[in-house]
Amino acid sequence: MADAAPVEVRELTKRYGSTTAVDGLSFTIRRGAITGFLGPNGAGKSTTLRALLGLVHPTAGDARVEGAPYAKLHDPLGTVGAVLESESFHPGRSGRNHLRVQAAAAGLPAERVDEVLATVELTDAARRRVGGYSLGMRQRLSVAGALLGKPRLLVLDEPANGLDPEGIRWLRTFLRTFAADGGTVLISSHVLPEVAQIVDEVVIIHRGRLVAQEPLEALTARSAAGAVVVKSPEAARLHEALSRAGLEVVPVGDTELRVAGAAERVGEVAAAEGIVLHELRTEGASLEEVFLELTGGET
Amino acid sequence: MTRLLRAELLKVLTTRLLLWLGLLVIAFEVLIIALRVGHDSFDSLAEPGNQRDIVSIAGIAVLISLILGIVASAGEYSHGTISHTLLVAPVRERVSLAKLTSAALAGAFLALVSVVFAWGFAALLLAARSIPLHVASHTTLNVGLGTIGAAAIAGVLGAGFGLLLRRQTAAIVVALVWLLVGEPLLSIAGVQRYAPGHAIAAVVEAGNQSSELLGFGAGLAVALLYAAAAATLGTIALKRTDVN
Repeated sequence: MADAAPVEVRELTKRYGSTTAVDGLSFTIRRGAITGFLGPNGAGKSTTLRALLGLVHPTAGDARVEGAPYAKLHDPLGTVGAVLESESFHPGRSGRNHLRVQAAAAGLPAERVDEVLATVELTDAARRRVGGYSLGMRQRLSVAGALLGKPRLLVLDEPANGLDPEGIRWLRTFLRTFAADGGTVLISSHVLPEVAQIVDEVVIIHRGRLVAQEPLEALTARSAAGAVVVKSPEAARLHEALSRAGLEVVPVGDTELRVAGAAERVGEVAAAEGIVLHELRTEGASLEEVFLELTGGET
Repeated sequence: MTRLLRAELLKVLTTRLLLWLGLLVIAFEVLIIALRVGHDSFDSLAEPGNQRDIVSIAGIAVLISLILGIVASAGEYSHGTISHTLLVAPVRERVSLAKLTSAALAGAFLALVSVVFAWGFAALLLAARSIPLHVASHTTLNVGLGTIGAAAIAGVLGAGFGLLLRRQTAAIVVALVWLLVGEPLLSIAGVQRYAPGHAIAAVVEAGNQSSELLGFGAGLAVALLYAAAAATLGTIALKRTDVN
């Protein structure tokens, strides 16, 4: 199924009693991209990812990895590496031992365990009991487990939770490197500024339903929260002309204006008035602004 | 399947649980055997039947194997490691089979250690009192083999029960209450011999049955039936469970 999308979610619905966690959700992600999977708390992100990984049984619809349900994958660890939210470990086992168990179940050599421990910079703590690990070390151990089978796809559920700034920087660098090497990443998070720095595309869900899916730049550029920035030596005259044209204008200093509207319209007004422009550009909203706008302010 | 079984055995062998349970069994045996050999008369201890009874204290390993089976399966839910297990092996029936098999093997191993230690320690103390040894008699060997077989069955029963309940402490408490309170109450109706604890005890006794127990063959059949039922229900529960 090499041509199939790395992740395809089709009409996925999951109900727990009278609560609908995911409601007819459909989306696909692009191979080789880092896709942010966003939504407020309780939006259904974790349930969706767990359905994708075969841990949760959908009420309706399905979720596929490279065209197949997770349970049908010939080599699960070689296809998908997963880091789940709030992962737990047996506190009495060492980090190395935890990975050895996974490697044994997958038929991977013990040397691979040492390789991934080195990748996540846990070699020195490998033989310590996990019960003594910090949250950041546990997250790195989770990432090490996800890398064991040299997967083509990484699925990460809130991986930055509890990480200190150094850990977040490490994770960001790691994911960029993984994607640069041809890997695909699906990362859920509510740490929006962090996600904005690394994702190529975003899938936003709210109350179990799809709200938006598009490249990050397109999403932020088209948002109503975006603005046109225009600089002119005749900013005051331009301000008057734009206001007469019905555009909302906010002056920023003596030579700069921020205008709500399309850049083309601003350019046309300036040209009609014979006003010189030094700069005319569209400034997209931040991902956080778009996110809040699409989800009605819930985080 | 071999990989999964190896991984499950690795889980059991590389935590300290098996070590602590093994030490618990041995400590219990040291206490009981020392008290018995130190307290009973020469003539009483010289009887083969009494020596068999002393060695049969190794049967404590059967109860410990039941608990070991519960911890090996329900413990995955308690520690939240079941998701790791299912991500590596998403076909849940295979996971269940590997867990049941590893619990049987771990139980049999624990019982083997228990029987060998009880036999050796009893022989040592009896020899120290210059009492003729009968611990290698046919009936004593049967008890040893029965204990190992019963422990394997108890391991499967525990693992299946743990998968069914998914809560480690609750499963252990329910099992112990059943064995210590539930089954004795069944004696009022005279049907206790068909209960799981008594059926497994019949396997331990291996032909040296008291009137309260089924014969070895019938006891083995009933015990296997309970183990199969627990394994089946546990597997169904694992297959249907959402891991959140």
